[in-house]
Amino acid sequence: MGLLRRGQSLIDQRRTAPRQWWQSLLYHAVMLGFACIFLLPFYWMAISAFKNNAEIFANPVQWFPNPFRWENLAALVSRDDFPFLRQFGNSVFYAGSVALAVCFSCSLAAYSFGCLRWRARNLVFGLTVCALLLPSVVTFLPIYMGWTRLGLNGTYWPLIAPFLLGDAFYIFMLRQFFLGVPRELMDAARLDGASEFRIWWQIVLPQVRTPLVIVGLFAIVYTWNEFFGPLIYLQDREKFPLSLGLFTFRAARAQEWSISMMGALFTALPMVVLFLLTQRLFQRGLSSTGLK
Amino acid sequence: MGAVQLTGVRKLFGAMEVIKGIDLTVQDGELVVFVGPSGCGKSTLLRMIAGLEDVDYGVVSIAGVDVTELAPARRGVAMVFQNYALYPHMSAYDNLAYGLRRTGLGRAEVEARVQETAALLQITELLPRRPKAMSGGQRQRVAIGRAIARKPEVFLFDEPLSNLDAALRVEMRSQIARLHHELKATMIFVTHDQVEAMTLADRIVVLNAGRVEQIGTPREVYHSPANLFVAGFIGSPAMNLLPARVGADGRLILASGAALDWPPGGLAEGQNLTLALRPDRLALGSGDQADATGKVTLAEHLGDETILHLRLGDGPGLTMKLPGDVPVRVGDAVPVSFDLSGACLFGADGLAVRTRQP
Repeated sequence: MGLLRRGQSLIDQRRTAPRQWWQSLLYHAVMLGFACIFLLPFYWMAISAFKNNAEIFANPVQWFPNPFRWENLAALVSRDDFPFLRQFGNSVFYAGSVALAVCFSCSLAAYSFGCLRWRARNLVFGLTVCALLLPSVVTFLPIYMGWTRLGLNGTYWPLIAPFLLGDAFYIFMLRQFFLGVPRELMDAARLDGASEFRIWWQIVLPQVRTPLVIVGLFAIVYTWNEFFGPLIYLQDREKFPLSLGLFTFRAARAQEWSISMMGALFTALPMVVLFLLTQRLFQRGLSSTGLK
Repeated sequence: MGAVQLTGVRKLFGAMEVIKGIDLTVQDGELVVFVGPSGCGKSTLLRMIAGLEDVDYGVVSIAGVDVTELAPARRGVAMVFQNYALYPHMSAYDNLAYGLRRTGLGRAEVEARVQETAALLQITELLPRRPKAMSGGQRQRVAIGRAIARKPEVFLFDEPLSNLDAALRVEMRSQIARLHHELKATMIFVTHDQVEAMTLADRIVVLNAGRVEQIGTPREVYHSPANLFVAGFIGSPAMNLLPARVGADGRLILASGAALDWPPGGLAEGQNLTLALRPDRLALGSGDQADATGKVTLAEHLGDETILHLRLGDGPGLTMKLPGDVPVRVGDAVPVSFDLSGACLFGADGLAVRTRQP
């Protein structure tokens, strides 16, 4: 009878996960520790942006700016030797253009690799993916000479135009999503009289809107931080994106730490905000490529 | 509407030949059902007619025109897919109108055609909805509407009812039959469901491993199977296929030793044959009138009928379909009598030798 009563209480009682409270506490403590290690440099940059040089290097360390030097922000946007706002605009233009170019060209290529059947398709796709293994420094010199002969050195063309021809990583990433679009949708559109270009534009792209946004975000983050390309092709400070502008400012004004930190803060901030707003999309993008 | 003619049609995927030379004519206004086991090539053949798969050898003609090299949209065919293939980001109206707009019809005519089709299929209230806001049956009706709106020469159905539940399947089946009657359209319907094939078809094409095994009306295919494959495939439960030998007295001797009367003529003594008998042609015998005794290995009580699976000694298995609820259990020994009306005999090559009319 006692056993029966005990059995009944087991039935009525809500079951909980077997993990103990101390396991949970330990897990969160370790994770919090790692998060602090990663966040510390960013925090250091953020507080240094609102200090002067003496406060930055003060001993003991000031963990919070006192006073908050907002004048550093005003100085950043008003300097002649560091056209921050202009370069910020250049970065937006550069990253936005690359993102649009990547979405256009890579989705076309991915449609072809993922949705169309043609002879040697897998071979060509394999060769495309092989391009991922080729370091960019190997191809940099002939490409640089080509752009110079075209007279486009010193413009954004060499930095943006190659993406109009696709990028192996984004093609690979998008193809994974395109493979998930039901083949019957395309067959139905073919029977309805749509051309392949129309099927790509009107039928398939609406099914992969989220992956396209993901690819666009990846392209924006990559381009925002891109340094080597602009360093090679751009010579005019007014045309620099922020990544290069900040570097040249640091090289010329090594002692002005607070302005450098303020510049670095507002260079990193847009990407941080973008990531926080879209981190689920980033996770989906990474999981689609097998990176996560 | 137009007739469809296939002449020596073959298809290869790499080195593997999946359609092995098919000659077939579907008459104008006829509803032909392709039926066969999974992987037999029935959907591939349909897609070849639609132009969605290339034809490696042979000719496909629709309404007397060679369309083998034509793009799908220029063949005058419309197709209904198993998974509906409705454009998910468009309303039902736009799904119906999409193909019409591609043909260059004016807005007023597109509107008129869509409304006319919607009225025919009673889906007018669904027109503003997107596919995700519809049930499976509603989606399938919209998919059929998309095909009808284009007024094609030929309708192609690729297992359109497979994704529906049993009740909806029956409803949609009768709706397709009604549409065929009203539109008097040429229709080719692919299914692996024999009930769909038997109830819808004017003629059935039984396919196996890329070949046509038999073409005939449902009655012909059911009562006079051309070979052992058709005999074993058409009908549920399948026909009993029993090895037999022609005895000295002209009777058929089964492996179990049972001797059965068969009308004389055409059979040689000692000839090895296969006797094919529908499960409903077997009955429980009584006393001396039983032809054999079998041991029940499985009893399926379906309420209005009972299906018994038996074993005759060491011989082959046997399936009986008996009316009503028969109180038999696994392990029981039951007397069996054979009614050979409607039975078929097949030679060693698997082809039909004789058929007794039911």
